[in-house]
Amino acid sequence: MELTTAAPTARTRDPSGVAYTGLLTRGIAFAIDAALINLVALVVTAGATLIVSLFHLPSNIRAVIAAVGVAAYVVWVIGYFVGFWSATGQTPGNRVMQFRVLTSNGERLRPRRALLRCGALVIAALPLFAGFLLTLFDRQRRGLQDRLARTVVVEAPGLSLAEASRRRRRTSARRAIGSEHAGADHPA
Amino acid sequence: MSALGTRVVVASLRPLGGVAGAAVDAAVTVERYATARVLDSPELERILVSAVESPRVQAAVKRALVSDGVRDIVTAVFESGLFDLIAERLLASEALWHLVDEIAASPAVTAAITQQGLGFADQVGEEVRTRSRSADDWLERAAWRLVHRRTPTPRRGTEGLRPGPP
Repeated sequence: MELTTAAPTARTRDPSGVAYTGLLTRGIAFAIDAALINLVALVVTAGATLIVSLFHLPSNIRAVIAAVGVAAYVVWVIGYFVGFWSATGQTPGNRVMQFRVLTSNGERLRPRRALLRCGALVIAALPLFAGFLLTLFDRQRRGLQDRLARTVVVEAPGLSLAEASRRRRRTSARRAIGSEHAGADHPA
Repeated sequence: MSALGTRVVVASLRPLGGVAGAAVDAAVTVERYATARVLDSPELERILVSAVESPRVQAAVKRALVSDGVRDIVTAVFESGLFDLIAERLLASEALWHLVDEIAASPAVTAAITQQGLGFADQVGEEVRTRSRSADDWLERAAWRLVHRRTPTPRRGTEGLRPGPP
């Protein structure tokens, strides 16, 4: 898999030219992801609560619904990270901060490894986030979760939002012109 | 007797009237044809272009524009309140506001506003990214100083990773 390089510092760029992403940048990306996850969860919870409030349910049923809600939240959080890491290697937060999670061989994570990294993330956070602090002392800026799942976090500069939007518009305009031509060539 | 003479004259002139009418129709047709030919001909365009590009015409126009007479006319037009009236009528016109609404809702305008917003978001994002990476480096240097170890040197640990085009 081909990787791109961003303007890295000399210390965090290995001889092959790959730059690794540091703790603070990853923290900001995680905060963006957490905000997204909780925003979606909040909207869904508000909707579900409104619907449930219409019915007069006994308290034990409400407790069951709350438990199901908590389980759904956990599944949603795990699914979010596993889905994005295994699909593109980037969560939306990673994309904003322009880095990517890959295996130590430079390949995209498979769902099983993404799930392992997700679990390792919890383990790294448990001892007062000490697992994340390993990032500061590792040459490849790997935290405990990266060591356990054998992954690395590398810089992945992408298109700016404005440029991406411009390209999307151009592509859709080209498609529209193409379909018009096709319609003219093969009139119904 | 005189009535009879009049009838004779009218009868004798009737064919002449028809001829005159036909002659007028033919003349109008020829005139229209000639006008159309002149307007369609490249000669007219050439004459107009050479007239506009002529240094004498340009100098004359320049002289006219800086003359006091033109200034007086322009001042008189503005002082007449004509433009105030036009502006007042335009602002009172429903069609103008409809046009403004149409322009504001047009895809080109919305795309330009979106582009501007995205450009700003890009700028903010770029600034955050740059600063966070600087902070990463600073944090690592501080951490390494804290544990009295040398700054780590890069090592080749990911043979599968290699740089490439975006």
